[in-house]
Amino acid sequence: MVETGHFALVLALVLSLVQSLVPLYGAHKGDARLMAVGGPVTVTGFAMIALSFAALTVAYVQSDFSVTNVWENSHSLQPLIYKFTGTWGNHEGSMLLWVLILSFFGALVAAFGGNLPATLRANVLAVQGWIGTAFLLFILITSNPFARLVPAPIEGKDLNPILQDIGLAVHPPLLYLGYVGFSVCFSFAVAALIEGRIDAAWARWVRPWTLAAWVFLTGGIAMGSYWAYYELGWGGFWFWDPVENASFMPWLSGTALLHSAIVMEKRSALKIWTLLLAILTFSLSLLGTFLVRSGVLTSVHSFASDPSRGVFILCILTLFIGGSLALFALRASSLTAGGIFHPISREGALVLNNLFLTTATATVLIGTLYPLVVEAMFGDKISVGEPFFNLTFGPLMIPLLVVVPFGPLLAWKRGDVFAVAQRLMFAFGAALLAVLVTFLFIDGASVFAALGAGLSAWLVLGALTDLALKAGIGNVALDMALRRFLGLPRSVFGTAIAHLGLGLTLLGIVGTLSFEKEAILVMKPGQVLEISGHSLRFDGLTPVRGPNFTEDRGHFSLLGANGQPSDVIMSSKRFYPVRQMPTTEAGIKTMWLSQLYISLGDETGDGSVVVRVWWKPLVTLIWGGALVMMVGGFVSLMDRRLRVGAPARRKSAQAKTSPVAS
Amino acid sequence: MLFWVIAAVLTLGASLAVLLPLTRRAEGEADASHDLEVYRDQLGEVDRDAARGLIAPSDAEQARAEIARRIIKLDAESARAPKSTSQLAPRQVGVIAVLAVPLLSWSIYTAIGSPEVPSQPLSARLSQKPADSSVDELIARAEAHLVANPSDGRGWDVLAPVYLRMGRSDDAVTAYRNAVRILGSTATRQAGLGEAIAGSSGGIVTSDARLAFEAALKLEPADPKARYFLALALAQEGKVADAATAWRQLSESLPADSPWRAATDQAIAQAEVRTAPANEAAGVAGPEQADIDAAASMSSGDRTAMIEGMVATLDEKLRQNPRDPEGWLRLVRSYQVLGKTDLAQDALGRAYAALGRDSEDGRKLTELASTLGLKVTE
Amino acid sequence: MTRKQKRLSVIAGALVFLGAATALTFYALGQKASYFYMPGDLQAATLQPGQRIRLGGLVENGSIVRGQGTQVEFGVTDSEKTVKVRYTGILPDLFREGQGVITEGSFGTDGEFVADSVLAKHDENYMPKEVADSLKAKGVWQETTQ
Repeated sequence: MVETGHFALVLALVLSLVQSLVPLYGAHKGDARLMAVGGPVTVTGFAMIALSFAALTVAYVQSDFSVTNVWENSHSLQPLIYKFTGTWGNHEGSMLLWVLILSFFGALVAAFGGNLPATLRANVLAVQGWIGTAFLLFILITSNPFARLVPAPIEGKDLNPILQDIGLAVHPPLLYLGYVGFSVCFSFAVAALIEGRIDAAWARWVRPWTLAAWVFLTGGIAMGSYWAYYELGWGGFWFWDPVENASFMPWLSGTALLHSAIVMEKRSALKIWTLLLAILTFSLSLLGTFLVRSGVLTSVHSFASDPSRGVFILCILTLFIGGSLALFALRASSLTAGGIFHPISREGALVLNNLFLTTATATVLIGTLYPLVVEAMFGDKISVGEPFFNLTFGPLMIPLLVVVPFGPLLAWKRGDVFAVAQRLMFAFGAALLAVLVTFLFIDGASVFAALGAGLSAWLVLGALTDLALKAGIGNVALDMALRRFLGLPRSVFGTAIAHLGLGLTLLGIVGTLSFEKEAILVMKPGQVLEISGHSLRFDGLTPVRGPNFTEDRGHFSLLGANGQPSDVIMSSKRFYPVRQMPTTEAGIKTMWLSQLYISLGDETGDGSVVVRVWWKPLVTLIWGGALVMMVGGFVSLMDRRLRVGAPARRKSAQAKTSPVAS
Repeated sequence: MLFWVIAAVLTLGASLAVLLPLTRRAEGEADASHDLEVYRDQLGEVDRDAARGLIAPSDAEQARAEIARRIIKLDAESARAPKSTSQLAPRQVGVIAVLAVPLLSWSIYTAIGSPEVPSQPLSARLSQKPADSSVDELIARAEAHLVANPSDGRGWDVLAPVYLRMGRSDDAVTAYRNAVRILGSTATRQAGLGEAIAGSSGGIVTSDARLAFEAALKLEPADPKARYFLALALAQEGKVADAATAWRQLSESLPADSPWRAATDQAIAQAEVRTAPANEAAGVAGPEQADIDAAASMSSGDRTAMIEGMVATLDEKLRQNPRDPEGWLRLVRSYQVLGKTDLAQDALGRAYAALGRDSEDGRKLTELASTLGLKVTE
Repeated sequence: MTRKQKRLSVIAGALVFLGAATALTFYALGQKASYFYMPGDLQAATLQPGQRIRLGGLVENGSIVRGQGTQVEFGVTDSEKTVKVRYTGILPDLFREGQGVITEGSFGTDGEFVADSVLAKHDENYMPKEVADSLKAKGVWQETTQ
């Protein structure tokens, strides 16, 4: 079975090579048969990689230590779920997951690309093939998960305990679906450059892929943030860590791409810029893969890294980014300009959005790479952390967020900003109220908190205003408005929901950062801590033996008004003997939107223990908001205009109905 | 065999994926029709939006005009679209592609694969007949049992001497301690524990080991293992004469067929060879147990010379075969214990060069170097 | 304004914006980037009291002193020099004597380094002998991996 997986992987490489060259040649020569090879080859390649991945998974689940990769990252005593997720909890396995998802997207293009012109489809598949070939070569040459170990050891070295968590089951696959999803946009962009032809129809074909990748990446980042929050025991949700930045940069530029593609689709404008963004977004994904996988940057959560692999990925990176940008430079000038528009218009707002988002991407990129450059050039080791990003990224986001509610309300081509402002009066008033309430009743000291609360209210109510106005509430009768509301295109809902989610996330961040309460103290059993109106009693530590770890479990009781325990919170320190590694399992109690977060420190010897307790108001909104954004993206993905069929099918359908004017 | 059949089937499937589309007659359609489809849909969308009142009628009219212009442009573009003929005919490309799949995949796989190694799921390996299992597998089975039943004292008791014989002294210490904890103290267990502790400290009878041996003697004053090792402890402290006396007493009390007789007599002989009372020996943990014992029975000058000779041999061996992490650790430690910091530092440098500073072995070296007070900066 | 002037003013606006963003970024890099030092490097460096730096090295053996409550002091060493670090809070899981550590903070006027964050390296293969021994003494079952 293991060797079947290995063989399937080799076969996938060869198929990927065929996929890279034959359809491309066919498109160049205008040969329909050669172009037709692309689809079946892509789908078969995906099947091969899936088989290969399944083989590796089986080896993990069965603890087959004759596979080096399994021996290094698994243990027979691990719970089944972690044996399973351990498949991608290491470098080799995660790269295999990466190509699996890449080929999955390729297969989707092949399967649902019937509405694409044959040459475009052939070229897109070929470009996907290039990426696949490069990464399959990388896997087989530098990080083969199927390397064997003879004789097989009888026990494995265990999976890194920090990764022994349900988060590993969700976070990497989601993140990779996002990262790699942008490869499709990249392939469309390069294919358009190869053909030298790009128009509004292109933007519509790319849009579902951009949306899907964006939804997954949003989910992956949010999930990763929540995972770090509860697993590392530091109580933070974002550390501006290089690895986090690596996933955040493609998200920022992907968001920009999402918005500029709208302009291109509607007005056939911003074509060159959209192409560039598509290339940059995937380049940033590749850069992220490189940063994480090469170990160039020291990061608090770089688990598997090997400099020799870094060189290989750097070559892939240079080849793809350099190659695509060179092609861009060569061909961009031949693309024709699109529709014109007034600076104050929907297009103008979207350009502004792009300007801010790409600048923000650039600051994150600089902050992430600057330490590398300084060390390479001057030998100084420096670190760029939160203070830098607060000073640069923050100011860029504030004006952008202020403008967000205006965008969907402005008309295309030429908008009336005063009319829109008038329509937003209600949201503005409510935001002002939020500022005042926060300032007067909650915390008069923090301007940041008051303004943040106001901005969140502005975003949420702005999004709702957009929906209300488009339904005509206030202008038409209520039942009519309801009908119109239900009949709104899904993309309108998608936009409003996503913007609303953004406001919720902002509210969560502001709430947590400004109103968080923290206590660090030594607690004796029986001692009661008062924090933000909650009484927390420490009941003592008990040793517990897990399947492959031992832990000291701290029991805490949340006391009700009568002094009786109303709830129990457990927080533990675990020790994994195989890796000789301790971990902290934070105790988290969610109350409405807020959380009480307990993490244990060292024992002091007499049964008392160092305890760190946080009260984190509204913290769940950070990830809840991201979830809402994902829903928004998903709803938008369901819009009917993204389901334009292939000509053949449409023609027969139209024969029955009246022809559309053209 | 089964594997080759599967491989052949997979290859066939992959080749067909290339071949079939080439044999089918693909109908060429104008690319423009796909674009047209999108624009038609856009027109429909404008109509719907206008009907719903989402856009003003004048805006809708403009949008329609714009889309119409795109369609006109599309017609112009599809009119020109030159198709060139090639030197390499599509048919040839197809043949090459179809052939490449089996040829490339089989040649790459034969180069990197290990078709002769079967899958070895752990449960299947552990359910083999005990007679077919290796010692390692038997131990693994016992270990699995003990993880499930950590309070099975007999299990620990059986496993402990096995660990000791296999040289897994650290595990033997744990196993003996558990056995003592659960089943209580006996002379055999305490003596075994002492031997395990001595083994894990490189053959030196440490104070911990001595405590264990003394506990064994308290329970069974005649225990030969405990008496032998306590005498060795004396010898290692430099009290060779006392050690020889102790060994002699042990030898007299041993029955003729005792397994300890040979070792004891040899120890006595070595102790007698020493003419002068030895000074405190540098406790080199590096060299083998036998060498230490031998060293213990020499005069201090001879001993130093012998140790240095051994270290030099090790050094030479590592120059020829530098991929020996254990050897490097031993060499660095030995030089430092002998007081030759320069040589230790030099050996550390060479070890880094051979093993890599960031490898697991490199880290062990760094760890050792920092405990020995050597410089680890680059 | 003609169309050309409008376009120029838009481009000029974008350039001003980008210029401001660039200036802000580099100002922030100069102000907010903290330098990394090992204890041995500190003499060569000129630091004002209160300037934030990152200090890295090994936790000196036997240097950890627990004070009142959650206060803790320990030495960070690179085997040339040792710097005393004061920290209040919970030490990371992997914080151990002899283990690599990175602390972030600044020097107080008394010459002691006051850290507000302590990061221990996620190096799962490292295990000092003392800890291993005491664990075995406690009878925690242990698998040999080598």
